[in-house]
Amino acid sequence: MAVENIIDAKGLTRQFGTFTAVDHVDLNVKKGSIYGFLGPNGSGKSTFIRMLCGVLQPSSGEATVNGFDVKQDTESIKRSIGYMSQAFSLYRDLSPSENLRFFGGIYGLKGQHLDDRVKSVVELVGLQKYMDQPSGTLSGGWKQRLALAAALIHEPPLVFLDEPTAGIDPVARRSLWDLLFELSGQGKTFFVSTHYMDEAERCSDIGYIYLSKLILKGTPAELKRLPEVSPSGTRRVSVETDNPSVALKTLKALKFVRDATLVEAEVHLLVDADAPDSAIVDALKSAGLPPHEPRPIEPSLEDVFVTVTRSLNQA
Amino acid sequence: MNGFLSVILKEFMHLRRDRTTLVIALALPMLQMTIFGYAINFDVRHIQTAVADLDNSRESRQYLAELHAGQYIDYIANLSDPQAVAQMLKDGSARVGITIPKGFAKTMLQGGNPQVGVMIDGSDAQVSVRARFAFVNPPSTLPKGVPDARINVLFNPNSKTANFMIPGLIAVILQIVTVALTAFSIVREKEMGTLEQLMVTPVGRLALMLGKLVPYALLAMVELLAVMLLSNYLFGVISSGSLITLFVMSIPFVVASLALGLLISTVAQTQGQALQLTQLTLLPSILLSGYVSPRETMPGWLYMISTALPATHYMQITRGIMVRGAGFFDLLPQFFTLILIATVLVYASTARFKKSIA
Repeated sequence: MAVENIIDAKGLTRQFGTFTAVDHVDLNVKKGSIYGFLGPNGSGKSTFIRMLCGVLQPSSGEATVNGFDVKQDTESIKRSIGYMSQAFSLYRDLSPSENLRFFGGIYGLKGQHLDDRVKSVVELVGLQKYMDQPSGTLSGGWKQRLALAAALIHEPPLVFLDEPTAGIDPVARRSLWDLLFELSGQGKTFFVSTHYMDEAERCSDIGYIYLSKLILKGTPAELKRLPEVSPSGTRRVSVETDNPSVALKTLKALKFVRDATLVEAEVHLLVDADAPDSAIVDALKSAGLPPHEPRPIEPSLEDVFVTVTRSLNQA
Repeated sequence: MNGFLSVILKEFMHLRRDRTTLVIALALPMLQMTIFGYAINFDVRHIQTAVADLDNSRESRQYLAELHAGQYIDYIANLSDPQAVAQMLKDGSARVGITIPKGFAKTMLQGGNPQVGVMIDGSDAQVSVRARFAFVNPPSTLPKGVPDARINVLFNPNSKTANFMIPGLIAVILQIVTVALTAFSIVREKEMGTLEQLMVTPVGRLALMLGKLVPYALLAMVELLAVMLLSNYLFGVISSGSLITLFVMSIPFVVASLALGLLISTVAQTQGQALQLTQLTLLPSILLSGYVSPRETMPGWLYMISTALPATHYMQITRGIMVRGAGFFDLLPQFFTLILIATVLVYASTARFKKSIA
């Protein structure tokens, strides 16, 4: 069992002065998974990743990455992981080819093996056309693909991606994720921090960190079935609408509606279980809106995080 | 004048928050005034002198004692061989050499004017003028027979300023460019974010430091060549000694200066700070290294500080080779001192550079 966990953290804690940035986090990542690490800005995501990468010493607790201790074996960890940061952190004045050869060299690759590895990661991310221009002139999406190629150059079994899709366009975002799925299928493990809920939905496992504490973990399906997300005596429905702002305002005002959110052209509602669908239809009618029938839905991950965060804040 | 007062007020608020700038602006001038005020002193005294007293008589000793009483001449070696005295001038450990021949006392007691051989290192005009002056007014309390000092100015006999200043200037210029080459290298990576990526790789700290150093060392050697050629072309300065020796002996100085730049780069948080720190190293290297005024004039504590500066030793090497024609073995002490300083600086910058945050 322990062998399967490529990351194994127990009570991992980091303090900066009196501020606790990461507070007793227990977290396991199974080999071959795409682990989504979620949480608002300043919740401790980057601090946690830095401890796992061996560049920041924990204040207490313990963790192993690829079987290496994060306190003792930091250099062994660094040899066995790839890392890609949010901001582009390769050399902008060097070409992709020069960057990849440099990082390959740092990991001790040379000669024919280095040539083969560069060729292989370039083909993987599809960078062939851009190999000789300064990396700084690449678009955001290509920069991230190059960074991923550099993170993979030494064939690490585990890659950390710290908000890899922040600020890149949706098409580039999707193709980066397709790439991650492909690699994960080949047995690589990814630890990805992100803000995006649609990205979280794609992960095989999820951890949600809030105010320095890991408050949720599990597969997306498990999280959606959590009792505190859909309290007993409530149910979730979705109503189509062509006038979202009026619909939202109208439905929010109803007594039996506990929560209402707009998702694309639909209003998602958390309502008392005993409230009939007809009450919703009536409310829409009296507001002069087309009376669409509500249909039952599962909570989204966003619903999960919003509900749990709210209940924590109220407590 | 829209917003004039608001801008004034805002700048005062920045100043109050930025303690570093405030400290630099207030404390640094006082520190510099203290150190450099003592450093710049053209009133040369206590010139290092080697003696070969072949007569070794009461009269010869009295003559030497009276020269010393004039405060210009300090004896640092008493030798039996005039050749050894000349060697000390060549390797730069003495500036003046006195040889008192046998029969000095005899000639004097017979009422004659005994001859004394005096060699003066003419490379530094300030020193050689003062040294000459010490022998011009001969001691007067001797019984009779005023000694006749035969002064022989070695190296740069015309006391041409350029011959002496240019080799020193080469050392200063080489330091300025080399420190600046590396001072930005790590802090730039910090600002660009590339250091974050390097930190998560297994790159060795010493490998990173030396890897950054070697290309710039080669560049610095090319710069040295260019400066040498230009000084010949513009000022007609030619080296009396071997250029190959000069280049070989420049290597530890270049490494020490580049390592000093790396150390600055590990300390500075921004490229702006790196620039300030680089300028901070510049003034001592000009004022304390012996470039402006002879180190002999400095008080003891300042002399100690100047001994720690790479430029001090390198200046002795450039002047030794170019002005006095000194060879490799004449300058071994300076060479090894530079190697020691370079090693310490490389070690210090490697130790300061951490592959982790906080």
